[in-house]
Amino acid sequence: MAFIELKDIDAGYEKGKPILKNFHLSVEQGELVSLLGPSGCGKTTTLRTIAGFIMAEKGSVTIGGKDYTNVPPNKRNIGLVFQNYALFPHLSVFDNVAYGLRRRKVSKPEIAKRVADVLHLVSLKGFEDRLPAQLSGGQRQRVALARSIVIEPELLLLDEPLSNLDAKLRDEMRAELSRLQHQLGITMIYVTHDQIEAMSLSSRIIVMNEGLIEQSGPPEDIYEYPATPFVARFVGFDNRIDGTLTRLESKSVHVDVQGVEFISTRPSPNLSKQDEGKSVSLYFRPDDTQIGVEPGKNAFEVTIDFSNYQGNTTQYAMHLGSHALRAVVPGKPIADGTDRTVFSIPPDKVIAEKGVR
Amino acid sequence: MKNSKLLILITAMVFIFLIGPFIMIFLTSFSSDAIMRFPPKGFTMSWYAKALNIQMFRTTFWVSLQTGLLATATAMLLGVPVAYANIRFNYRGKGTLELLFSSPAIVPGMVIGFALLRFFVYVSNIPIVIGLYLGHTAILFPYTVRVVSASLRNFEGDIEQAAISLGSTPLHAFFAVVLPNIRSGLVAAFILAFITSFNNVPVSLFLTGPGVATLPIQMLSYMEYYYDPTISALSSIIIVLTVIVVQSAEKLLGISKYV
Amino acid sequence: MSLKPKTKALTMLLGAGCLFLLAYFLLPLLFVLYESFLGTDGNLTVSRYLAVLQDNQFQNVYLRTLKMAVIVTVIAVFTAYPTAYLMMKIKSSHKAILMSLVILPLMTSPVARTYAWIVILGRYGIVNQTLSLFGLTREPVRMLYTEGAIVVGLLQLFLPIMVLNLVSALENVPSEVEEAALSLGSSKIGTFFRVIVPLSFDGLIMGVTLVFTGCITAYVTPAILGGAKVLTLATLMRQQALVLMNWEAATVIAVVMILTTLILHTVLKRFRPRNQT
Repeated sequence: MAFIELKDIDAGYEKGKPILKNFHLSVEQGELVSLLGPSGCGKTTTLRTIAGFIMAEKGSVTIGGKDYTNVPPNKRNIGLVFQNYALFPHLSVFDNVAYGLRRRKVSKPEIAKRVADVLHLVSLKGFEDRLPAQLSGGQRQRVALARSIVIEPELLLLDEPLSNLDAKLRDEMRAELSRLQHQLGITMIYVTHDQIEAMSLSSRIIVMNEGLIEQSGPPEDIYEYPATPFVARFVGFDNRIDGTLTRLESKSVHVDVQGVEFISTRPSPNLSKQDEGKSVSLYFRPDDTQIGVEPGKNAFEVTIDFSNYQGNTTQYAMHLGSHALRAVVPGKPIADGTDRTVFSIPPDKVIAEKGVR
Repeated sequence: MKNSKLLILITAMVFIFLIGPFIMIFLTSFSSDAIMRFPPKGFTMSWYAKALNIQMFRTTFWVSLQTGLLATATAMLLGVPVAYANIRFNYRGKGTLELLFSSPAIVPGMVIGFALLRFFVYVSNIPIVIGLYLGHTAILFPYTVRVVSASLRNFEGDIEQAAISLGSTPLHAFFAVVLPNIRSGLVAAFILAFITSFNNVPVSLFLTGPGVATLPIQMLSYMEYYYDPTISALSSIIIVLTVIVVQSAEKLLGISKYV
Repeated sequence: MSLKPKTKALTMLLGAGCLFLLAYFLLPLLFVLYESFLGTDGNLTVSRYLAVLQDNQFQNVYLRTLKMAVIVTVIAVFTAYPTAYLMMKIKSSHKAILMSLVILPLMTSPVARTYAWIVILGRYGIVNQTLSLFGLTREPVRMLYTEGAIVVGLLQLFLPIMVLNLVSALENVPSEVEEAALSLGSSKIGTFFRVIVPLSFDGLIMGVTLVFTGCITAYVTPAILGGAKVLTLATLMRQQALVLMNWEAATVIAVVMILTTLILHTVLKRFRPRNQT
């Protein structure tokens, strides 16, 4: 059994209107898992159900082999880091960090030692007497982290912890989080809507949409082989063409699109021999496309709707039959006077996945 | 953009109209004339001495002070939990209950006092002072709920959840984290409610009688019989005290956002 | 199972307040309502209502109270709007000073505030003295104990409430909206009526409700400035109860007063815009 198990969970903010339906999730000890998805996808609901702020209407929550389903949040020993830090405004940095220890009746000298250690860990030594209002955003985030790890939680939940920071600080904090995770070996569940953040931090990404898990796997798999149209779009495979799978081999996939054969040299692990003859969708990224080259493999004629010069690159909007396509190509717009051009996608840049019904 | 002259004129008149009467009271309170004449003649502090020496004013001042403090304290004890429930929870029948909690502010104060008199004093035979205290508590209740709700609304629920995730029970989190952070709202609610009680006439009107009166009621009945600047002096004292309290509360707590 | 802690918490939080209001507020009111229908023989009857409502004096007083409330409300709207509007336009430090000048009267004893008008409008008050100084009048004009005096007193009492409601409503109107209207060719006055007023309408209705119902139920001002000569609903009720010991009539007037306020609240609520952004 995994370290954290959510089974058959129905949960939401209003009774009878669950956001998560029949939800399953398992996380191994020491993993750093990201819940990735747009707002409203259920990722925060999942986090709050694990933390105990949302009591599941149905199903069970198990952590470390113990049933936590009906354990109130204050008895769970789970660290929680909030998007807006949620520091106690009336308490100093020291008292903020010591809060959980005092609740656990830890002795005074022990508190002093552990707070000092954790403040050292997050490089906030010397800030003990400051109030949250006297700290920068990054410093507040460090206090929030220190406060939640000092209680030595079984599990650390982070709810979009970096989204209120500017880009540079975000990079720094990301590196710091990575370092802490390696140093402490603590299991972390990280909620974000930012795929770069999820990619760079996690050992596993779970993409969520409308209360369901769309795909779960290591960052490379998610990025290279999105399993569903939703994930494909989410990781930037903005172009989709539907066709029929004609042949699946170990190194290549052959797809028929309105009589034209497409080849992908990246067979998806989600496809099997049984899918031959069934409909599939081809996905590729706008910046992997080529335009105006000689007709050849994976090339076809399209109509350009408009082009948009962006300096380094030019963006094209085109259509092939009923499929709207986008391309981002280096250089200036091609100006050959016609709106027809050849559009191609290298076989190692396109993937085929099971079609949408 | 220049603001038009008409706009400035109307505004100036409004403020003269609002503040002028206060100046008038001050001027007449120092007049040595026993009838109130404009412009005032002479200068004397004797009206102040007289106002402070009238026994009924002293007695009723204490009644007003005690009623105000007790009623405000009770209204706070009842109102803070209600405000908290209304901000943090959604529940069935919330709209109806919110209407109930705000209704003492809608029902005319005179009627509240009248009803308490009819029901309690005549039917249950309880002392009239208790009725006075209950009536004041009832009208201050919606006040405390409103002001405390406003300051709770600005306090993020996440902070409370952080405390709970660190091991606090919801009750402990309320006292350790919520209350300290809405302190200024609580003080503002207390001051506003107390002033409301201290100034109130309509509720007290039927809940006072021979032997028990509040200061404003006593002032009203004094004015029925005497026509001299004693009331000017007394009013001046009350106004100055109010200004001091309100201004320092505004400086310290920004009370105006709760009015 | 999962709802239980919430129910428990709500009971703890709301219980005391509910009980208090039920016992010391709703119950007495219901008792008065019941009493108002009580006949001399203990039967339920509307005879008390008939007696009061058919009484000429009551009808006059009721209409007078409504009339004065309308006058005060209208004047308050037309003076408070420009004031609130100007307060939004000036420097914020100046606005803060004006705000405290609005709040100060609101916090001050209504008895003291109304008493000031005795000084101002009295026989030897500033108004009469000024009039005679310029030779406009030979004898002091009687201004106290008139409807006019009550209107002036009520206006001073309730104007701050109107201004505050309009200020907080106007604070929610972004200044860009006004600039946008002006840039589209709307005149200043046109912009005010077509853009500013509709966007602050909610605050206007709130202010009107509070001022109007406040005027109808106000006691101190008509008591001091009208006395027994110019009665309003509130002073009539007190007179019936405490002077004439006619509790039957007072009970009916109490119910009429509640009904009038409730009807006003309900009717005016309908004018409040539902989904304003």
